[in-house]
Amino acid sequence: MKNLFYYTVFPGFLFTVTLGFLSSWLDRKVTARVQWRVGPPLLQPVYDVIKLLGKEIIIPQGAPKFLFLMLPLVGLASAILVSTMNWLSMLDAGSGFVGDWIVVIYLLAVPAIMLILGSFASANPLASVGGSREIKLLLGYELPFVMACLVPVIKAHSIKLGEIIAFQASSGILLSSVSGVAAFIIALLCIQAKLGLVPFDMAEAETEIMAGAYIEFSGAVLAVFKLTKFIMLVASPLFLVVLFMGSEIKSIVGFLFVLLKYILVVVLLVLIRNTNPRVKIDQAVRFFWGPITALAVTAIILAMIGL
Amino acid sequence: MMWRVDILSSYIAAFIGMFGVLVVIYSIGFMKGKPRLFWYFLYTFLTIITSIGTVFANNLVLLLIFWGFLGLLLYLLINFGDKNSNAVAKKTFIIVGGSDSLMILGIGIVYLLTGTFQMDKIRLEPSSLSVIAFICLIVAAFAKAGAMPFHTWIPDTAESAPSPVSALLPASLDKLLGIYLLFRISAEMFIMNEPMRQSLLIIGAVTILAAVMMALVQHNFKRLLGYHAVSQVGYMIIGISTGNPIGIAGGLFHMINNAIYKSCLFLIGGAVENKKGTSELDKLGGLSRVMPVTFFCAIIASLSISGVPPFNGFVSKWMIYQGLISQFTVHSSQFTVTKFVIIFCLIAAMFGSALTLASFLKLLHAVFLGQRSYRSTVNRQPSTKIDEVNSLMWLPMVVLALLCIIFGIFTNQLPLKYFILPSVKDAAFIGIWNSHLATLLIIAGILLGFVILLLGNLSKSLRLDNSYVGTEIIPSENRPSGAEFYNTIKEFGILKGIYNKAEEGFFDIYEQGKRFVFFISGILGHLHNGVLPTYLVWCLLGMMGVLYSLLLK
Repeated sequence: MKNLFYYTVFPGFLFTVTLGFLSSWLDRKVTARVQWRVGPPLLQPVYDVIKLLGKEIIIPQGAPKFLFLMLPLVGLASAILVSTMNWLSMLDAGSGFVGDWIVVIYLLAVPAIMLILGSFASANPLASVGGSREIKLLLGYELPFVMACLVPVIKAHSIKLGEIIAFQASSGILLSSVSGVAAFIIALLCIQAKLGLVPFDMAEAETEIMAGAYIEFSGAVLAVFKLTKFIMLVASPLFLVVLFMGSEIKSIVGFLFVLLKYILVVVLLVLIRNTNPRVKIDQAVRFFWGPITALAVTAIILAMIGL
Repeated sequence: MMWRVDILSSYIAAFIGMFGVLVVIYSIGFMKGKPRLFWYFLYTFLTIITSIGTVFANNLVLLLIFWGFLGLLLYLLINFGDKNSNAVAKKTFIIVGGSDSLMILGIGIVYLLTGTFQMDKIRLEPSSLSVIAFICLIVAAFAKAGAMPFHTWIPDTAESAPSPVSALLPASLDKLLGIYLLFRISAEMFIMNEPMRQSLLIIGAVTILAAVMMALVQHNFKRLLGYHAVSQVGYMIIGISTGNPIGIAGGLFHMINNAIYKSCLFLIGGAVENKKGTSELDKLGGLSRVMPVTFFCAIIASLSISGVPPFNGFVSKWMIYQGLISQFTVHSSQFTVTKFVIIFCLIAAMFGSALTLASFLKLLHAVFLGQRSYRSTVNRQPSTKIDEVNSLMWLPMVVLALLCIIFGIFTNQLPLKYFILPSVKDAAFIGIWNSHLATLLIIAGILLGFVILLLGNLSKSLRLDNSYVGTEIIPSENRPSGAEFYNTIKEFGILKGIYNKAEEGFFDIYEQGKRFVFFISGILGHLHNGVLPTYLVWCLLGMMGVLYSLLLK
């Protein structure tokens, strides 16, 4: 019962979605300011979701109906789970909740898998193209992402998130070491791609394939996808906070401190998004498998020799 | 003692029996109307019995006899396939039989060193002779399981042999036996030193990556599965050669899991081929509405093999990763080659699982999702009427798919508790995975999402409409079939060269061996020019040689 509360209310669904709304607003506001616009009001993301809930749901002909409606829900469920795990690793470091470092990395990929399957299930050629780009992007960033996330494990000699945080409490945050900084930069870029933010938004690419993977989703189903996105906007940067500058939350000040770190990561993501044009899919994969992977190898070697 | 019955051999024998029964049930539906059915079922039953004999054998010679007989049965069973199957069967027989001859050599050396054939009495320290014996036996295990570089018979067999044969032998029994032998050799009969361990780990990592990269670009359903049957072996090899209990337990568990979902996938491939008459990915598509049961099994098995939690593939991969990481942490903090190899294997295994996922998403798109392929229908309007295979065929698939779910969610209650952990002592988990709670919470999350859908207009307005493309509907000839998704990756710098070489058969030990044999016989061929005087000259020279050596004596 306690776990259900964790999952649905705090720090799970309700809390994370609220934070996700705020982060999304922050993203749009900063973007607007960078482009000399005013930007949306604070509650705009909420209005968007409510508007979508009122629209009708259209299912494309030839799509497997059950699957088409089910996949977004699975994506949402695992996004909430991974966000809850990240929060609990800092709130209640000893418990470990449902899983460790490996589980988080796997669960972080599930919403993307569900989006890809959903786009394939739409029986729409544009969605197929969008979905195929999303997989290739996943292949691209997953290699350096795993390598970057391995750096804290090498340093802390543990795959339990709680122990990684405890290690950082005793011998300084990861970000204070050379390998930590390198790994953080890599992981940040991978998160950028994971969240589908410019310059890695080729799976949606409104101007060429009209939202690609999302094209056939409408109404409440699209709203579920939006909610998943908001939650992932919290969960993925938070995983970086846990790995690279994690600290146990013991008081309200500690909590605010973690929030501040999280907002810092989000602002970095937004700034990257606003200063780069969209790249092509082959450029993105080349970028991740080439220079970024080379950097990741360097980071791992540095971590192994103790820097 | 000729036989050994311990927990490991008993449960492997039980699984062999289970796969045997399921495949026989499937075959009754699949092979209907094919010629020489009596012989097919006879060979299948003999295969099952021989495999069970192999795992209970405690005498190396007995093991060898069973092992060799299995190679022969494999040859006979592959011959039931398409018109290509004869050549493929020959290739398989040469690779597997060749490795058997190395196994004889290995057993001979073992006997020389220890003076016994009893497997449970052998415990060899590394020395130059025992390493040779080790390599000979490992080659036999690798050829059976299909690890690199002895893997090339598996994709060909998968493509040409009948699906139940692929599901029975390369996908499940050969994996069980090969990895069983690997476990007996590397964890019990030989004490491995660091270089041996590292070479096995590297072979495992290379097997995972290379085979899955080949699988990405395949255009044939069954051939794609064949490459995955190779790639998954890498995980088991890595798990077993970590040398610590949790890794070995992970490797053994992965062996079981892989046999379950891989034979399920081969049966699915057979079902699709049975209904649609082809296994070319370009010609399939949109079958999810037509074959719902097959589709359900396909999606479960695909997610399992890609290691998506909470299915069974995730649990065993998770254990293998822990084996690697705990091997990493026991070494001191300085930089060593061992640590580097372990990190390389860990990255290869985790990234390999993303590549596996990508290749199965492509498969799901090309066969079950995406637009329908209209080519087969006359009026260009495909029917969405359910056209499922008969129950003899879907029942085994459903059983295997359910096993994937059960072994994933109730992993601590069933497989680990009864099979895996009793056969590997002191396996200590260093990570956390609470599959029950996670599954419950994911179900709660799905319900939550369902409530959101209900808050929206799910109950009131649900409309079916044509898919939105902007202009007219794209004709099915021009639809993205999915088979070509990863052509971009094929074009990347160094990968392009490797792919081209691979297509020429450069990495195929059989092709290279053939080239070598033809080269030698080409040189010797010059001697046989069909002219009688030449032969007489050779005879004369030979006689002179004999006389000379006799006189010299």
